[in-house]
Amino acid sequence: MTALPFIDVVGAWIGIFLTFCILSFLYKDNPFYKFAEHLFVGVSIGYVVTLQYQDTIEPSLISNLNLAHWWKIIPLILVAMMLIKAVSRRYSWLGRFPLAFAVALYAGIAINAAAQSELGAQIKFASHSLDAEKADLNHADMAELGKIPGVNPLIAKKLVDERARTPFTSVDDAVTRPSLTPAEQADLAEKRGELVGIDAKAAVAAHDKDWFGIASNILLLAGLLASLLYFYFSLAHKGVVGRVSRFGVWILMIGFGASFGFTVQGRIALAIGRALDIQGQTIAPEDAAVIHGPLVALISGLAVVAGIVVWELRERRKAAAGTGAGGADQTQ
Amino acid sequence: MKKLAPLALGVMVGLYATAEFYIPDWHVRALTSELQSWAAVIAAFAYVLGGVNLIQVNYPKIKRRERDWGYKVVMVVSAIVMLIAGIKWHKAFTAAPGGMVATATGGLPGKARVVIDAPDDVMVKVGAASAAPARVAGKAFELDVDPGKVSVRVYRRIGGFDEFTTELELQAGQIATVKADPAMLWGTQGRVYVWLYDHVFAPCNATMFALLAFFVVSAAFRAFRMRNLEATLLLGSAIIVLLACAPIGGAISDDLLDLKQWILDIPNNAGRRAIMMGAAIGAITTSLRIILGLERSHMGAD
Amino acid sequence: MPDRSLPAEHWTDRLQRFDRRWLFLLMGLAIVVPLIFPIGLPIKPTPMTKAAFNAVEELHAGDVVLISLDLDPASTPELEPYYRSVVLQLKRKGVKIVVVSTWYQSPPLMERWIREAIDAPLAPPGTEGYSGAPDRAYKKNVDYVYLGFREGKEATILRMGNDLRGTFDGHANDGTPLDQIPMMNGVKQLKDFKLLVLVSAGFPGAKEYVQNVQARYDLHMVASCTAVSTTDLTPYFQTGQLEGLVGGLAAAAEYETLVGMRGTATAGADVLNVGHLVVIFAIVFGNVIYLIGRRNARKRGAA
Repeated sequence: MTALPFIDVVGAWIGIFLTFCILSFLYKDNPFYKFAEHLFVGVSIGYVVTLQYQDTIEPSLISNLNLAHWWKIIPLILVAMMLIKAVSRRYSWLGRFPLAFAVALYAGIAINAAAQSELGAQIKFASHSLDAEKADLNHADMAELGKIPGVNPLIAKKLVDERARTPFTSVDDAVTRPSLTPAEQADLAEKRGELVGIDAKAAVAAHDKDWFGIASNILLLAGLLASLLYFYFSLAHKGVVGRVSRFGVWILMIGFGASFGFTVQGRIALAIGRALDIQGQTIAPEDAAVIHGPLVALISGLAVVAGIVVWELRERRKAAAGTGAGGADQTQ
Repeated sequence: MKKLAPLALGVMVGLYATAEFYIPDWHVRALTSELQSWAAVIAAFAYVLGGVNLIQVNYPKIKRRERDWGYKVVMVVSAIVMLIAGIKWHKAFTAAPGGMVATATGGLPGKARVVIDAPDDVMVKVGAASAAPARVAGKAFELDVDPGKVSVRVYRRIGGFDEFTTELELQAGQIATVKADPAMLWGTQGRVYVWLYDHVFAPCNATMFALLAFFVVSAAFRAFRMRNLEATLLLGSAIIVLLACAPIGGAISDDLLDLKQWILDIPNNAGRRAIMMGAAIGAITTSLRIILGLERSHMGAD
Repeated sequence: MPDRSLPAEHWTDRLQRFDRRWLFLLMGLAIVVPLIFPIGLPIKPTPMTKAAFNAVEELHAGDVVLISLDLDPASTPELEPYYRSVVLQLKRKGVKIVVVSTWYQSPPLMERWIREAIDAPLAPPGTEGYSGAPDRAYKKNVDYVYLGFREGKEATILRMGNDLRGTFDGHANDGTPLDQIPMMNGVKQLKDFKLLVLVSAGFPGAKEYVQNVQARYDLHMVASCTAVSTTDLTPYFQTGQLEGLVGGLAAAAEYETLVGMRGTATAGADVLNVGHLVVIFAIVFGNVIYLIGRRNARKRGAA
């Protein structure tokens, strides 16, 4: 691998310094943060303007402006109307045309998307049978076997081959067949369980019920209907309606709690990402060795802290001088 | 007229966008594709207008030396620098050939040789061999290959440079010398643009969002109170998911992982599905209002 | 003189107001310390992640797959590990790849990811700590095609479903006409791909693909998303609109385990252990203080 150019090493140092400038906001808003924020906004705007022109406007419009594509004059006119709206108050009403076009097109797209995917597919799923049967290990196809906890396509194939030799007599028999490797048998042993494990989802006879699955399906449907009722405000939430919608709120709250848990994971992951970048785990080891991320991070952190201390002292002196002068004025 | 004409356009386009879903004719498909490209151009140009707006808003503030005007200068200057870096300047000049190939004889019998003449910060990939530096300790890269077609790629591993690729047709005993020095590019795949993206945009973008990790723990301490049963259910579910999401959950018990999956599959999906359906009905209603011209707030005031 | 008519402040009131910057410091330490002293707990793949892995495992050499990288630099810790793992999985099976994006923040990032993971081998023979089949460097416009970015959000997604070539004006990002690229023969719409791999950080992303094109063209899709979006997408996994879902850093670490190549998600998942415990501690401690304070306030009110 070739060496990292020095300008890119300097760039990495700049990136680390800007990271600490932005992190300094955790103390309070300060000049380092403001500088980094404005630099970021400026670079973002320059970035997006050039990119949108070169990747969308130029290939889709500018390079097709010829007689063979005469209809491209229409989007050109719409774009010109947008520009007029931005620069002229008198003719800003022209900007309504491209806006109306875009808003209406996306509204039309949204109707079909919402109807098919959000309503159609979800209602179809919600109205499926509440029954839950265990997969019959002696007859289930590969897709059904794949739904059993711990069973991957490879294991499913082996189970199919094994049952063709000798049908399974029990779940214990199925998960200990010789063609399964010790690691696979250990994985399957780990997944045993009467509630949600293999014993709940698989059997060696047909039409064995998965009772916990049935209860879960009932709860899924009940929760959906109760939550929908909660959002129906044309009926007063009193009496039976009130109690059912309260149950819907409980279901929603459990779901929001799960969302919160994932949100926390997501937020922490963002910070982990910066830490991994600075530590050098996201780049080649040779490059990390040249950049010395942790050392640069320490220096940047100390520099920012020192800078903020100096700034804080100056601000406090300014505030004290301002109060002192005001007090002197009052006594005079 | 100033409002009616755009509304009429909106009605026509909206009705078409809704109806085209049900018409399988290829003419309709082609027209739909064209209209979608227009929408993409309008959306892209909105960002360009954002850049114009940046100058419109900040230039007067800088001129009047308002509060924090110095930072506004930083913002405008950095935007201009990025804009300049994004222009494909290299296309304004006559492009030097990316590389040259010269062949000679004198190679090993039964084999052909590929020699790369390139600077030492350049990488080279010949055929199926692993990529390697073009020059190590001053010595040029050489590889003996079987006669026939051989692909050669000369490039810099850092983004923002051109690359030279060629297919050589070599015979036994031939030596092909590939001389290349991938040129620096400008534009959105150019050196300066990508450097600014990698070392200013990306770290700042990532760190801005990373601040949220700190605010979430502050919110968790100050704001999440078990005031009633509903809040308790929320927090209980959150704690189970928090534990189960990290590897520590699996270390505590596999049942915790199963419980988390059950929470996602049953109560979470029940609630989400209800919200999805409600939101879908709302989206359909609002979209119909826009398409029928009943919703005019996006037109602005007269 | 202190006003003795006012009740004395309870210690819980003082604690509820304490400077939150100490919590920031605690969180900072919770992130940095496990990186220096890793814990290394085993990672156990969950059903949604396994389903995503199995969907890719069912592909064969020569199949063409679309990867849509709808992300920005901020989402890389959660999405880049999955991207690398799935690309390794695809390359070792000899699957052809087409890369697109609908996010304007992604192109330079995407181009670097392509250089590092598709143009170069991720796990050449002899890679330490990796026991799976090795992969090789893919050739541009032979094994993979980079189509680039187009603005337009849902309109672009719909347009790709209807007319992929028209969306990218008939050529790859480097200007090569798609008609001249053999692997693009017969690939004109999204339904011509065996599988869509959606790596999405938000809007537009996996949700918009599911809403606009999945049912319309009966597409097979797997998605990786940020943790924040996971609970929004689980209903689609349950209905089968998504065949697999890898949600967040922890799931990306699970995917790395399944593929057999430890990466930054595995390192990051370690840090999640401590980070999550800090948040749980903050919730529990905050509520203990609140409940004690509330009981005290009730006693004072009764008195």
